[in-house]
Formats: sequence, structure tokens, C-alpha cells
Amino acid sequence: GKAAQPRPAFTDEAVQTLLYKMTGLDLHKVFRPVKKGLKPPQYKLMTEAQLEEATRKAIEEAKTKLIMPPVLNEREPIDDVLAEDKVLEGTETAKYVFTDLSYSIPHRERFIVVREPNGVLRKATWEERDRMIQIFFPKEGRRVIPPTLFKDENLGTVFQQDRHEDVLNMCVAQFEPDSPDYIRVHHRTYEDIEKHGKYDLLRSTRHFGGMVWYLLSRKKTDGLLIDMINRDLLEDATSLITLYHMLHPECQSAKEAKEGKLQGVDLIKVFVKTESQREGYIQLALQAYEEAMATSSAS
Amino acid sequence: PPSPYQDRPWEYLESEEYRATYGDKPVWHGYRRNHKGSVPPQRTRKACLRRGRRVGNPCPICRDRNLLVDFRNVKLLDQFICPHSGVIFHPIHTGICMQQHKRLSQAIAQAQDHGLLWLHVPFVPVPEEDFSNQHAAVGKTPPAPALKGPGQAWYPWYEWQQPPAAEVARMRRLYQGFLKENYPDTPPS
Repeated sequence: GKAAQPRPAFTDEAVQTLLYKMTGLDLHKVFRPVKKGLKPPQYKLMTEAQLEEATRKAIEEAKTKLIMPPVLNEREPIDDVLAEDKVLEGTETAKYVFTDLSYSIPHRERFIVVREPNGVLRKATWEERDRMIQIFFPKEGRRVIPPTLFKDENLGTVFQQDRHEDVLNMCVAQFEPDSPDYIRVHHRTYEDIEKHGKYDLLRSTRHFGGMVWYLLSRKKTDGLLIDMINRDLLEDATSLITLYHMLHPECQSAKEAKEGKLQGVDLIKVFVKTESQREGYIQLALQAYEEAMATSSAS
Repeated sequence: PPSPYQDRPWEYLESEEYRATYGDKPVWHGYRRNHKGSVPPQRTRKACLRRGRRVGNPCPICRDRNLLVDFRNVKLLDQFICPHSGVIFHPIHTGICMQQHKRLSQAIAQAQDHGLLWLHVPFVPVPEEDFSNQHAAVGKTPPAPALKGPGQAWYPWYEWQQPPAAEVARMRRLYQGFLKENYPDTPPS
């Protein structure tokens, strides 16, 4: 039969370029003032050339700040018993954790084993590993016991204050990218954003790509599409639909687009007719956009 | 007497009584410490309630029995944090006693932990490491060749082994006079 193309991953170059284009680069949002210790303001007199040089440097720095955190599957739990020594049963009352503290090994290759009171010597679980590594090799922004903010009850209060970006930054600092807590918090945040339509909060941050990937894999792209059309971001809308076709090549609109080699607004219209749930809203938004384009080109 | 807002301290900050007493100003506005000389001591008093009695001129939190330092009444905690830099004011600036300042810092830390108060999140760059989890430290290791089956011991001397006959004879000769009669060579299992 037909040789099926392997499903594109998050780390593919084509996917990454499209996601990076969609994220946008609003320098005023990336470098916005943050509450910290007060200093008197600095003024600099620059020529046009110096100003351009400074903006170029700022764009370089913003690019490093917009590197997307990895999207991985949940890690497999570790349950490997190294030895069972019945001789030691009853000698101790507490577990002993042995951590290899050599400085130059990466944390993922570090051996951490636990001797239980019943004599079993097993490898430490992922939670124990993270705790031990944080105790002996503390990382900035990470606490040994994660803040209570990451529990489901408390996430609601933070979302009401519109602090989704802060939550996601704290999550990246606290958890490993393949831990179940990291994935759960990210999914909760994306669900909340999609429910209330607050897509603009994450634009120009490094988490926008992850959110788009989540919505694409679950086919919930309607709200995002409407938001983009309302803000007159047609290129972003077309790149969103191209990504959709890359991820789900067997759907109706993907086949039609490949046959007709459609571009721009036609692509969006075909997608809206076949795949979306909220057809009416998207048609209205497209109409409003076309009217605005007509009036602006006429005047 | 205990305050009527014991269980819901955040309600007091919305009530008429609070507005009449403080208006729009923060709770510590207008409080003046009594001390000798122009420069105040660099630490406020230790506590306003000494052995159950209230001192003269208590601090802004202790003088109002309805103001309770709790991590849930965010409006009160906000009044003691600088709106520009996000730093807790020094007790000399606000005039509260050291005991209340300690409880206030703990409540602010708790509120930030629960997500009720703003917290400065440092930018942590994305870790660039190998996430494949292929290494033996986090994957399965094959069992040692010495362990041929489950229930086998790691070292052979974990189980009792019959010592050589020469050793047994030597021991018997050494402790001749002290051995019990009919002492067996192998221990009963």
C-alpha cells in the first residue's frame, strides 16, 4: 500500500519555524519592566545607526528568551530491584538513600539507590531522584518540596488573576520536562486559556509553541483561529492550518488543499467548511476582516 | 475578647468600620513610635503583648483587634509590601512590633506559595540535556550473574556453610573443657 509518512514531532525544523513565526516578537512585551529593586532611570543619546545596532542586539537576546521548552511524553516509572538481602531484615528502622555525588556526571546518569528496612536494595523513584538532586545540587528557582500553587485547587485562583505565564515559568523552573506534574500543570493552563480565549497572554512568550502543539493534537484550534483573524494575523492563521495538515494528513481539508495547492484566505475557507466546529463564528470573523480590508483599500 | 472576624479576617477590610477608621490609607499610616532622640532604634519593640498585658502605644496591627495576620486576607498583606519593588517594608518604616513582623513575613510567604500574592519568577533557561532515559541509572539493569534465580543470595556466605573438618577439629581441641556434651556439628535449621 501507500507508505505513510511518520508523524511530525515537536522538534522538527519545519514545525519549529512555523511555531516561532506564530509566536511573534513583541519587544515591548518580552522586555517589559519587572518589579524589582528601584534604580534611577538611565538615559542614552544614540544616533540612528547605534539605535539600529541596539535593536538588533535586543532581537538576538529576545530570540534566546523565546527558545521553547521541550514537549515530551510522560516518563516511565522506575522499579528495578538490585538485590534482596533477607539478612538485613529488622536491623534498621528507616530507609537509607545512597546518592552518587560525583560532580561531572549528568543528573540523568546519576545512580541513586534506596535500602529499605526489609533489606531490599532498589533504584530510587523519579520523585526521590528529583528531591535528592535538588538537595545536593540546588538549582535556581527550584524548591525541594514543590509550591502548593501547583495543586489543582490553587491553580484556579492564579488563573483568575491572569498569571498564566508566571505559572508556566515556575513550572519550567520546578519540574523536569517529562515529569507527570509538569505535563498536568501545562495541560491545565492550556485548557483554561482555551476555555476563556485568553490566547494573547502567551503571545511573544516561549510557551506559545507548546500551547499551539497541544491544541493541534486535540483538534481544538477554532478559538485560536478566530482570535488570529480578529487581530488581522492572516499569515499566522495560514501557518496554523498548514501545521494542522502536517499533523493530520488524512483529514478532508488536507487532501483538498494538496490537490488545489490553495494559499491564504482560500485555505482558511476550505478548512472552515470541512474541519471546524464553530463555523458560524469563523465565517463572521472572516467577513468582518474582508470588509475592513475593502474599506482600507478603498480609502 | 476575641474578634468577630476570627474565621473570615478578609471581610473586615471591606466593612464600613474599616473605611471609617482608615479610609484609603494603609493601616500603618500616621503611626508614630515613641523613642528618645531623633534617630529611632533600628529595631522596633519585641512584642506588644507582654505577659498578657498590652503595652502603651501598641503597633498598628496589635491596636486593632479585627486586623488578623492570615495568608488569606491578601489586602492587608499587600499594604506591607512595596508596590514598586515587591519587597516587604522594614518594621521601622511601618512601626509594627518584631513578633507581628515575623508572623507577617511567614503569612506573605504562605500566600505567595498558594498563588494569592504576586511572586517574582526568575527566568530559568530551558535545560539542554538528553531526555531519552536510556542510561542504566534510570532504566532497567540486567541482574548480576551471581544471582541465578529469585531468592538467591548475593554472596555465598549469606547462608550457613559447613566449615572444613580440620577447622572443626581445631576448635573442638581449643575449647575442650567448655563444650557441651553431644554438641552437633551442623546447627539445627
